[in-house]
Amino acid sequence: MPREKGVLAVFSEPSVAARAVTAAREAGHLDVRTAMPAPFPEVMEAMAQPRSFIDKVTLGGAVLGMGLGLWLTVGTSLALPMIVGGKPVVALPGFIVIIFEVTVLMGGLCNFLGMLTGAFLARRKSWVPPDPRWSRDRIAVFLPGAGAAAEALLQAAGAEEVRHVS
Amino acid sequence: MRAGAARPTLAAQFAAIDDTVKATQGLPGLGWAALWSFAICCVCIGGYAEATIIRDGMQHTGLNRPVGWGWYITDFVFWVGIAHSGTLISAILFLFRARFRTAVYRAAEAMTVFGVMTAGLFPILHLGRPWYFFWILPYPNQRQLQINFRSPLVWDAFAISTYFTVSAMFLLSGLMPDAATLRDGSSGWRKRFYGLFALGWQNTGAEWRHHGRAYLFFAAFATPLVISVHSVVSWDFAVSIVPGWHSTLFPPYFVAGAILSGVAMVITLLIPIRKALKLESLVTMKHLDMLSRLCMLTSLIVTFSYACEFLLALRQGRGVEFDTLMYRATGAFWPFFWTMVVCNCVLPSLFFFSKIRQSQLGLLVICIFINVGMWLERFNIVVSSLEHNRVPFDWSSYHPKLAEMAITLGSFGWFFMWFLLFLKLLPAVSTSELKEDAAHTQHEQAEVSHAA
Repeated sequence: MPREKGVLAVFSEPSVAARAVTAAREAGHLDVRTAMPAPFPEVMEAMAQPRSFIDKVTLGGAVLGMGLGLWLTVGTSLALPMIVGGKPVVALPGFIVIIFEVTVLMGGLCNFLGMLTGAFLARRKSWVPPDPRWSRDRIAVFLPGAGAAAEALLQAAGAEEVRHVS
Repeated sequence: MRAGAARPTLAAQFAAIDDTVKATQGLPGLGWAALWSFAICCVCIGGYAEATIIRDGMQHTGLNRPVGWGWYITDFVFWVGIAHSGTLISAILFLFRARFRTAVYRAAEAMTVFGVMTAGLFPILHLGRPWYFFWILPYPNQRQLQINFRSPLVWDAFAISTYFTVSAMFLLSGLMPDAATLRDGSSGWRKRFYGLFALGWQNTGAEWRHHGRAYLFFAAFATPLVISVHSVVSWDFAVSIVPGWHSTLFPPYFVAGAILSGVAMVITLLIPIRKALKLESLVTMKHLDMLSRLCMLTSLIVTFSYACEFLLALRQGRGVEFDTLMYRATGAFWPFFWTMVVCNCVLPSLFFFSKIRQSQLGLLVICIFINVGMWLERFNIVVSSLEHNRVPFDWSSYHPKLAEMAITLGSFGWFFMWFLLFLKLLPAVSTSELKEDAAHTQHEQAEVSHAA
């Protein structure tokens, strides 16, 4: 992971951490990073992150799955046009079940892989100094490249602990 | 909480949640070892029975014309049904923002995955020559044999495999943050083991952004999937012209039945788990109360479906459909039918009384009976219609043999073997969602006291 310099503040209350994030953004820090044991809505909202790309990846996967399902059912039936049970070779009502299942399967797989990729890239792009407390009971707010002014700002926002990471 | 008592800080609540869950991951006790060994013994008994069938053929089962589907398919539908409530609790209740799901959904999701793993065995064992199971899969081959995409049995193969894959991914994505919490507080092999499930998770806000979105999509996918899978299982029956099966009522009837049996199984498992793993502070009586209400609702739908089956047959006049249903209620298996009615319709109505819902013993006993009733329901549907088909000279009786019963026992052993392992190796409740819930509750309480 790429290690970065900056100011790290530790909070115990999500609402206080959210206020600190807002204050930092208002002070001109555009890259405000956090780490926390759960996605607390107030902190997530204060961070004002752009929408995840997973929407598009999942939609793409689902559309691909729909196409695959169609190709599998219609394509193989046309490749071996055998009439079974008096039904047409291309019996769409029956095929819809398989098309639906393959759509969900591919959409789900792309969703999962998208999440893993997104989380991996997020860890590389938004590094926060690791600490077991972030998964247990504390919230970290990290301002990369910030100086003494940021330390004072986070202290004033109610941080339990503020330190410079070098 | 006592008036005036100091409320623990949020950080203290978070730490208590972590400590409670971490305590469940200690070395297994004698009780766990005994149960797990018993489960393994059951698997061995089932495995031996299957080995004799593979060696000598299907004469070790009671399957013969006209009853080609017996205990195997009954077990298959039963276990698919059991697998349904996990997704209902984790996905549908997530979309409806029902907060009581938080403490119970992880165990239900694990139950789903192990339930599908168990169910998936039966169509393969039922083939008689299980090594040819891959014939149902669509792959290019040189024998000019293509699977029939119009067949519900092929729909089933797609539905079950999709359901298993999506449920497993849903479970894994929820586990990632909790495994990371356990990884950060462990050492040695456990740290490496939890690290495998955490997949590098660091709890950063940027990771949570993707996780939250992906989890929402999983819930959105799983909701129609859960309805489609048991509908497809019901079409295995309803698309045929066998009397007692050929009905448009089957999909909603099967889905409601699956949810009833699944929720009953969740309660059956949660009551001993919360006691044994000391999770009473996280999985409270309120959670069990809400689940029993869900049981009550689905039991009413199932009761309505039973009545509809008879009324729809009666509306067609005294024909083969009505005769088959009457055979179900008064024929050779009449005790099974009426036990089913008592277990699935009468006993769950006791949940109308809050005293029963607040009693762990009452809940446990009724839910075990619901599970028995739901197995009997599937048995009645599968066997009675085949025994009493459209051609009277073909009528016959089905007598299950010891090998089929041993395989059923083995399936329970298989399910509990995995479930007990899960309880000891991975968190049975979601710590991250419980923390989010605790923060939400504190925020609400602060708003109320501020307004006052």
